[in-house]
Amino acid sequence: MIITPKELQKWVKDGRTFQVIDIRTEDQREEFPLSVIGSIVGSAESLPLANGHPIILVCQFGVVTEGLILEKELDNAYSLLGGALAWEALQTEKDDLSRWSRQTALPELGIIGQKKLNNASVAIVGVGGLGCFAANILAAAGVGSLLLVDGDKVELSNLHRQHLYGSDDIGSKKVTAAKKRLSSQYDQVILHTVPEMLVNDNANEYLHNADVIVDATDSIQTRVLIDHTSKETEIPMVYGGLYRFEGQVAVLNHHGSPGYRDLFPELPTSGDACAEAGILGMLPGIIGNIQALEAVKLITGIEPTLAGRLLIYDGLSHNTTIVDISRKE
Amino acid sequence: MRITVKCFSQVRYALEKDELSLELGPGKDTKDVEDLVREHANKKLDGVLLRTAVNRVYIKEPQELKDGDEVAFIPPVQGG
Repeated sequence: MIITPKELQKWVKDGRTFQVIDIRTEDQREEFPLSVIGSIVGSAESLPLANGHPIILVCQFGVVTEGLILEKELDNAYSLLGGALAWEALQTEKDDLSRWSRQTALPELGIIGQKKLNNASVAIVGVGGLGCFAANILAAAGVGSLLLVDGDKVELSNLHRQHLYGSDDIGSKKVTAAKKRLSSQYDQVILHTVPEMLVNDNANEYLHNADVIVDATDSIQTRVLIDHTSKETEIPMVYGGLYRFEGQVAVLNHHGSPGYRDLFPELPTSGDACAEAGILGMLPGIIGNIQALEAVKLITGIEPTLAGRLLIYDGLSHNTTIVDISRKE
Repeated sequence: MRITVKCFSQVRYALEKDELSLELGPGKDTKDVEDLVREHANKKLDGVLLRTAVNRVYIKEPQELKDGDEVAFIPPVQGG
C-alpha cells in the first residue's frame, strides 16, 4: 500500500499509532533526516514486524519500499510515496511533491529539479496536434503555469490527433476546451489562455514572462514571429514541425544557438500543413512529447538539449537523424 | 566518387525514395547534387526550399564533395 506525505501528516495530526521504519543507508539518513515523525532504523530482513501497528516504510525516493512490500507481501505496511525527500519537502516548504515521485527519483531531476518545474512558466503557441500533447504532459510533469495561445476553434477533423478535445467541444475555442480538460485532470497547474492568434502587436506582451516557448504552430509565419520574439527576449523556443510521417524538433535561440531564420532564411510560399499533407495522430504525439521533454530539460538544466541540433524523426523506419545546425558560416 | 543522398519530407515523396546512391565526377558540389535531385523530381520540388547538410552538418554555401559523403536535403515543415 502507498501513503502520501500529506496523508501521513494527517495521521500524525490525528494521533494515530504507527511505526516508521527507515531502511535507508546511514549517509542518506544524515543527508535527509526525517523530521516530525520518530523512526527506527530497519532493514528488509527485519520485516515483517508483529506488533499489529501499521508500518510506514521509508526509503529515499519511495521506490525501494514499494518493491519491498510487494516482494514480502506485507499486509499492514505502507510505502511513503516520494520517500524521505518528499516528506522533507512537505515539512520545510509545505509542498507535497509525492505526485511526482517517479520523476524526482531520477538523479538528473530530483527534488530541486521538480521545484524548478513547479515554479516555471511555459508558453505553448498553437494548441493543435503538437500543442495538445505538449500541454498535457507538461501539466502532468508539474510545470507551474501554462500559457495557451490559439485563436482556432475545435473542428471534427481535429479530434483524431488533438486529444484534449471531444465531440462536445466542436465549435468552442481550442484554448477554452484545453483549459477545461487540463484543469479537471491536473489541479495544481495555473492555466492562462489567449483565444487569439499570435501577431506582431501581441507577441512580446504574451510571451515575455515565459521561461520556455513551445512552438506548436502550423504556420511558418507565426513560427517566424515566435523566433523573432524568442531571440529578442532571450527566451528559448522549442520548435516542432510535422510532414506526414516525419517530424522535426530543435531548441532555438538558447544561449546563442541558432534561431529558425538561421535554419531557414527564406520562407516557403506554399503550405504543407496537416490538412493538405495528411497526418496520423501518433506523429504529433511523438514530436509534441519530445518538445515537452526539451522544455523540461531547459527548465531544469538537464543536458544535453537539442540546442544547435535539428532532430528529424521518421515514423516509417523509426530512424532518428540529428543534424548539427550550430555552424556559423 | 560515390555519395549517398538522404531524402526528407517533400524530397522523399517527390523521389519516392528515402535514400539515393549517386556516382559523380570529380569536383562536383552540393549545388550540383541539388540540381540533379530537382531534375529527378520532375518539377515536384519546384518552389520547395531545401536546406543542405553534409555528413549531418548544416551548410550555408555549396560545398565540394568527396567520395563517401552523405548529403541531406531538408525542407522546412509546417504541420503542427
